[in-house]
Amino acid sequence: MKKTLVIVIDLVIMGLILFFIIQYANTKMRESNESVIEAFEKMTVSAEQIITNYLEDEQHLCDIWSNYINRSAEAGTPMTAEEAISFIRKAKISPIIYGHLILLDESSKSGISTHPSLSNPDDYSVSYRKVQLFDSLDEISKKDGVVNLTRAYTNPQNGIQSIAFMNIVNILDENTGELKEALLMRVEPVSALEDKLVFLNGEYESVEISLINKDGDYLVHGKSMKNSNFFEYYKSYNKVNIDDYNRMTSQLTSESGTMRMSNSKGEECVISYTPLKSMDTWFLLAYIPAWELANNTVVDWLLLGMVTIGLLSLLVFNYLVLMLYNRKLAEAAQMATQANEAKSHFLSTMSHDIRTPMNAILGLNEMVLRDSHEEEIVAYSESIRTAGKTLLGIINDILDFSKIEAGKMDIINVDYSFISMLNDLVNMVQGKAEDKGLAFNLDVDRNIPTILHGDEIRIKQIIINILSNAVKYTKKGSITFKAYFAKETADSIRLIISVTDTGIGIKPEDMDRLFTAFERIDENKNRNIEGTGLGMSIAQSFLNMMGSHIEVESKYGEGSTFSFELVQRVKDWMPIGDYEERFKRSVLERVRYRESFCAPNARLLVVDDSTVNLSVFKSLLKRTRVQIDAATSGDEGISLFKKNHYDVIFLDHMMPDKDGIETLKEMKGLTDTLNDNTPIVCLTANAISGMREMYINAGFDDYVTKPIDPERLEMLLLHYLPKEKLVAISEGDDADDSTIPDFICKIEDIDVNAGLIHCGSNEAYIDTLMNYLDSAETNADEIEKYWQARDLKNTAIKIHALKSTSRVIGAEKLGDFAAKLEKASEAGDLNTLESQIEQLLADYRTLAGALSPLKETKDDYDDNSLPLISEQDMKAAYASLAECCESFDYDSLAIIIESFEKYSFPENEKSRVKALKKAIDNFDYDLIPQILTGGQDYEV
Amino acid sequence: MRFKLERTVTGELLKKFCVAIAATTMVLTMTSCGQDENNNAEFKPALSFETECQLKVAGSYSNFESLESEFERFYEYYPNVNLNYVCLDDYDNTIASALISDEAPDIYVTASWMLDEDRMAPVLEHAEVLSNPDLNINLDCIRKGARWSLDNGDVIMLPIFTRSYGMLVNMDIFEKNELEVPENYSELIDVCEKLEAAGYEAPIMGANGTTVAGMYYALAFPFFCDDVIKNPDSVAALNSMDKSAGEIMRPTLERLGDFVDSGHLNPNLCGEEIADDYDAVIMRFFEGDVPMMLGSGDMVSGTLKRESKSEAFIANPFKYQFYVVPFGDEGGYFLDAVNLFFSVNKNSANLDMTNEFIRFLMREKELGNMAAIKRLITPTNDFSVDEVYSSLEGFPDERAFSYQETGLNDAVNKEFRAAAYKVANGIMTVDEAVNAYGSLWDE
Repeated sequence: MKKTLVIVIDLVIMGLILFFIIQYANTKMRESNESVIEAFEKMTVSAEQIITNYLEDEQHLCDIWSNYINRSAEAGTPMTAEEAISFIRKAKISPIIYGHLILLDESSKSGISTHPSLSNPDDYSVSYRKVQLFDSLDEISKKDGVVNLTRAYTNPQNGIQSIAFMNIVNILDENTGELKEALLMRVEPVSALEDKLVFLNGEYESVEISLINKDGDYLVHGKSMKNSNFFEYYKSYNKVNIDDYNRMTSQLTSESGTMRMSNSKGEECVISYTPLKSMDTWFLLAYIPAWELANNTVVDWLLLGMVTIGLLSLLVFNYLVLMLYNRKLAEAAQMATQANEAKSHFLSTMSHDIRTPMNAILGLNEMVLRDSHEEEIVAYSESIRTAGKTLLGIINDILDFSKIEAGKMDIINVDYSFISMLNDLVNMVQGKAEDKGLAFNLDVDRNIPTILHGDEIRIKQIIINILSNAVKYTKKGSITFKAYFAKETADSIRLIISVTDTGIGIKPEDMDRLFTAFERIDENKNRNIEGTGLGMSIAQSFLNMMGSHIEVESKYGEGSTFSFELVQRVKDWMPIGDYEERFKRSVLERVRYRESFCAPNARLLVVDDSTVNLSVFKSLLKRTRVQIDAATSGDEGISLFKKNHYDVIFLDHMMPDKDGIETLKEMKGLTDTLNDNTPIVCLTANAISGMREMYINAGFDDYVTKPIDPERLEMLLLHYLPKEKLVAISEGDDADDSTIPDFICKIEDIDVNAGLIHCGSNEAYIDTLMNYLDSAETNADEIEKYWQARDLKNTAIKIHALKSTSRVIGAEKLGDFAAKLEKASEAGDLNTLESQIEQLLADYRTLAGALSPLKETKDDYDDNSLPLISEQDMKAAYASLAECCESFDYDSLAIIIESFEKYSFPENEKSRVKALKKAIDNFDYDLIPQILTGGQDYEV
Repeated sequence: MRFKLERTVTGELLKKFCVAIAATTMVLTMTSCGQDENNNAEFKPALSFETECQLKVAGSYSNFESLESEFERFYEYYPNVNLNYVCLDDYDNTIASALISDEAPDIYVTASWMLDEDRMAPVLEHAEVLSNPDLNINLDCIRKGARWSLDNGDVIMLPIFTRSYGMLVNMDIFEKNELEVPENYSELIDVCEKLEAAGYEAPIMGANGTTVAGMYYALAFPFFCDDVIKNPDSVAALNSMDKSAGEIMRPTLERLGDFVDSGHLNPNLCGEEIADDYDAVIMRFFEGDVPMMLGSGDMVSGTLKRESKSEAFIANPFKYQFYVVPFGDEGGYFLDAVNLFFSVNKNSANLDMTNEFIRFLMREKELGNMAAIKRLITPTNDFSVDEVYSSLEGFPDERAFSYQETGLNDAVNKEFRAAAYKVANGIMTVDEAVNAYGSLWDE
């Protein structure tokens, strides 16, 4: 899991905890605020009661006045206006309370006041003409106890904002003597009412009480309430739609409740409202800033802050610990990566390094098998071959597994012949089965299409693994291989393969381990059975990559059936026919092949930088009498390619300067040569899976891995060589008449016996030693040249060749020395190379010097044992020598003259050939043309 | 101290004001340039931050939101002061009593007409002399046409809002028709013709009445005032309703008659479509098809709140500005009139804080804010606060004057309004109106 993801998850969890706390705190705060608001509403109700009581009391006083006046009228002694006012002057106690008697029949709405105007002390008249106060006189109730209250207005007599309690009285009209109605007003300053509410400030510091009428006009005006109308004020500072506004005004003027709104400063405030009891015209508003009611938040925020800090500390701590562990993990991962890289390096070098000696082991072992007549030796040799092949299989499995693990294994689909694949499979397994006395049964649907499209190599590998396992784990009985198919689509089939054996079977509890790498079931019981435990795992991996899997049915002790299905595209629907019949025929053919072939007129070119490998190659085909031209570099090979016709060409891949692929491309690029249609086969120790495709894609016609499987090599040649060049095998030409010269046995640095084992025969050993000697000076010079140019890659390649060839001839000490410097080259260890490469070259040259008498010995060989060169070939060779001489191409001269050794020459030409060889060895470019033209006596 | 106001008659008083204004204009003009820094400077409280008291402002506006916003701003300096605005019923009659009551206001609204009314003398008697240098009130921020002082130089009334007379111009119509707002009479005629050609049946409208908010007052009265200022000898005869003085009205009435006759102004149409000189005139303008709407500054002040009440304007809002009507050959005349004054009750129980509030208020910034909220014209020279009045910025001094500079009394004003209405509506000819001077006004 990435570090960032861990931190994000931590933060999310933190966020959730904080969210919960906030929600919880908010809920608690809301509950608390609700109770606070409830208390505030109760206070509002208390204020309403106080005000209502006050208003009712004051109205009551007004009613007392009016009752007294009206009782007088009812008693038949009505008061005049003056008398009524005079009565009120006497009746009222407070000087701030005014009594006004307004004559209702006057349009001027004027009358008499208990007090004179402040601006004119002699004037007791009062006029409400310009005060809009009496729009609804009809609504004034004459009943006792009903509060008839005006809005707040300016008392005309004193200019003070006041309210008035009203009642209707009957007074005597002095002019008419009739009774008439007048309005009696008990006028009090609004401040008197406000004073009654002062007590509320003790409980709520910022509370403001306002009284409004139905239209929102104020009777009592709180300080924070701007505008002369509450509803206008609300609209000015609160953006609401018309519906909400109407709902608000309706609620405010009909019921008790609480609302929130913004004041003129944009601050939230709470308004608690309630109608004044017994009056439906006035409504009490208690205003308070919301912050005064919103208590308890400090504690919650403190808690929240502390929790946040705590969680952050925890996060930082965890992060630091995580960082520490991550660092350790990163180091471990780095080490693991390095180990993995080392493993990959090991595997790739193992591929090459194990396969090269394996080539010698298996190749030379094959020589032993062919040449030895001692039964005991042959038996040993057979064991070597079996063990060697097993070892190769194990190496291949490990390489495949490592490639699968690294995700570098690709499925490469090609068109393939199902028959051909079956042949390969059966050929590989049937022998093993027969060796164990097992019956190998085939059940192949004759309608399977001939040509399919899929990864032939992998499918073959899968089936071989299954079949090999079946053979391995079956002691008696049979192995049955079935191949069927079902049509999938118009251009594809579902191939159904199964292998049934009568082997030991698998316990149900072991089934799960069957496909686990390096797991071997029933290890104790099967200890004697070879294997790495990788085969089934690899097979399963390949199938998974192809969208399939292996199915297993097994009964412990009775046998197993392994099967799988694969969808394959069909390229040719022609049925394969009766495969069993074909198989029987092929078996017969194969028996003949085992007897090998002979093709003395066939000519091969093999290019390999290692002369030892060239020697092994030649030895393996010696009995076939095929003519083999060898070249030790790409350029040399190309030169021969231009001059001679070959039936098959073998090219090594890894060569200095110009590798096999570059050489191939250059050859293919040439036109009008004698080899336009010659198949070219790759010869390589690089056996990692997938390489075959690479080589085929590069343009090779086929691919042979080292160590060379002699049977495969012969099969391949049989396939590619023209039939007319194949002749019947002649017996009795396998004698080894060569002897090892004494001076060789006396060379301390050479273990002759080891050399013989490596090379297979005395003659092969002498040939190998000759090759070693011939190439020694050139190789030493090249190593020196590459080293001086600090070309470590080619230096390593040349030292590698020196290592393997030295070991082949039995010069183990020099071989080990070369191996050491090869590693130093690969590792870029310049210090080791600086200090030791001179010694290596000196040892190399010393050994070559010790072997030099071999040249003299060779010259004495009886050329008559070799095939007589044809006149045509001889002339062509002379012409080539002349050309090479003109271009000072020593390498080609050397190769041509070396090729002369394979032939015997007519008597009249022998002295010329010797003279040529001497001149070429002495680099005498002036003499060679003279010898060729016959203008020079030959001094040999 | 007793004011001379008690003893003088209107004409004398006004003359003295004119002299005072003329005398102080030069000084103030010369010093005004250097006052900008003071005007814009941050207010520096002179009293303790913690001072507690209650101040009451009395006036006749039922709502005074612009003042209440200043209360809030003042609380930033004095959070423990409680300012309260009280609207007095029948203000003209109750303010005198209120000033001597137990709940007397600390600040109260005054008006220029109070100077002419003997009955208002007690009200003015309570006014503190605010030009007292000890009070450190910045009177220099007031524009020359809005300044008022007694003949002795004392200032007892501070202008808060001013108004003028002119027209609201629908800028979108002018822009759409690629027209410039006219700057003199010939351009006005030209623009009207082009607008008519463009399909605007009535290029200029207004309330067809005799009020100061009516269209004839905005159109022609400033032009008439200019004539009077240029002929100061005519003032006495005009004020005394001398019949022969009507002749001075002739040039104005003739131009008005010609303008109406040209068909650019249709009194009948205006009368049919515009019922009053405030609400109806604004709502008609918001219909969006009237290029120029004549009226007073009060009309402009009512536009802001009515924008949201006009469905036509909400659907198709447009840009509009206030312009002086270019009725003269050289241009229009800016008649400066104070709409509202504040005076300080010299008997205030919290006189220091009251003066502190006045000192706070008398700055371009605060007066500009108040004017912008009320959408009246600021009494300062800074017209930038409200874009509607931006055309007044830099208006030529030679064509700007206050009503008081004319020396005319209210009766002349009424006679002119009546004459203009009657000539425009064809009730009288120019000759008849001129000859009927002194008896033109019908109550």
